[in-house]
Amino acid sequence: MTTSSRVLAFTIYLCAFIVGGVLMGFEMLGSRYLFPYFGGGIGTWASLISTVLCALAIGYFVGSAIVAQYPTQRTIAVAILIAAAYLAFVPATADDVMEHILGSVGDGASATLIASTALLLVPLTLLGTFSPIAVSLLTHSAAQAGRVAGLVYGVSTIGNVFGTLLTTFTLIPAIGSRNITYIFALTLAACAVLLFLAPAKRPS
Amino acid sequence: MNIRSVISGMLAFGLIGVPTTFAQDNRNLLTSKESLYNNIYVYEDPPYVSMTFGHNRRIYTESIYNTHDDRDLPVDYTRFMTASLMYAKDIHSILEIGFGGGRTSWYLHRFLPNVPVTSVELDPTVLELAKKYFGIKEEPNFQVVNRDGRLFLSESKERYDIIMIDAYRGPFVPFHLLTKEFYQIVKDHLADGGVVAQNVEPSTMLFDSAVKTINAVFPQLDFYKAGGNIVTVAYDGAERKAEDLAGVAGERDKAYALRYHLADMLSERRRIQIDGGQVIDPNAKVLTDDFAPVETLKNIERHNRKLP
Repeated sequence: MTTSSRVLAFTIYLCAFIVGGVLMGFEMLGSRYLFPYFGGGIGTWASLISTVLCALAIGYFVGSAIVAQYPTQRTIAVAILIAAAYLAFVPATADDVMEHILGSVGDGASATLIASTALLLVPLTLLGTFSPIAVSLLTHSAAQAGRVAGLVYGVSTIGNVFGTLLTTFTLIPAIGSRNITYIFALTLAACAVLLFLAPAKRPS
Repeated sequence: MNIRSVISGMLAFGLIGVPTTFAQDNRNLLTSKESLYNNIYVYEDPPYVSMTFGHNRRIYTESIYNTHDDRDLPVDYTRFMTASLMYAKDIHSILEIGFGGGRTSWYLHRFLPNVPVTSVELDPTVLELAKKYFGIKEEPNFQVVNRDGRLFLSESKERYDIIMIDAYRGPFVPFHLLTKEFYQIVKDHLADGGVVAQNVEPSTMLFDSAVKTINAVFPQLDFYKAGGNIVTVAYDGAERKAEDLAGVAGERDKAYALRYHLADMLSERRRIQIDGGQVIDPNAKVLTDDFAPVETLKNIERHNRKLP
């Protein structure tokens, strides 16, 4: 392994961790955005969780579909950057969007699903494309594929856990959910910059 | 409804000093049910029936019902929730958020049968058990709605003379029912001269933030010590003088033949300097939809700050 491929690998694992953390952190924040409008019931949580999982599924599929054509870290950097921009718009617009949904669709299961979709689907789908492309970037031979996939998903899942706990027990009690959203947007943007700066993978 | 003070629950059963395990054996478990939100247990200790939430069954008693007397309010704070009757300019409609076993709203319905009483309860299983074991039935002028309290108010076009707030989930108040935005919605649904009564548990820092939050929307706040709980009565405009309240209390005690006299409750009325830093922690923050760490505040004990 050359130095530059080591740097690339480190950057990708670091980003896998951070992106995983922001992803689940934003799901926890979703409850703070949705509860005031759609109630604090189990239905709201079900909507949030299913939307997150849908977004990830779509993200994995999209990632696997485009990885052959765009197998570079720039692809995931762009996806992460768009997700960051989306998050940056959420605090200023969420209340209007929620009120609009409440006013036009009502407050039933479909309205709650639409609201969580509006909030989560786009950024989390973009973040979901990360893992398949990351696995491809880190894999140099077919024999490595399983090991690399396991490592990427393991690191990203640890990031999930970290993001869930940090958001719930440290960030929400300390700062407002709108500011936390801005912090997440900045964090993602920083990840995108790191990926842009990382040395490109040389064709093997 | 939720009785945060274990003591008052124990008093009602005469169980003080009895070890928990023994106390539980004394009561007969009528039913237990897993709802969308809680594990609910209904106990019988004649003539009382009680509803409790959670695994630690002793702690979160939600409601106590006297099966021999449906107008009995065995729990202190539920009586003081009715103190709101002496504040409201008119009494044409009453709303309660957080029904539980429905004692307070049923009491008001029985003594004010011509006034429409609406109560909103999130948990359908709580409603089902209240109807089965707590003598609750839907009648003209008594309506129970299965809905999130904030959602109900947001969509309602009604205005109420009295809004009572008593929504707990086990030990916690859902955060969206304790923010400035929520109280603004409540205020928008008050009729002219309307008041808001709320059951607040005073032993943690959540009390300080709750008081500041209510006060951010309602300039006037009267406090009633009610066993281990505190009932706040919030209203707009100028402070109501004790003698004026006493006048209204006397009139309404008579007009409605109330069992728990409003005039007697007045002696428990307290006013405090909310911004003085003496009683309410000066660092306590107003809770908003953006920032409302209710679970964290709930875990911080208050120190040496008591109502006068």
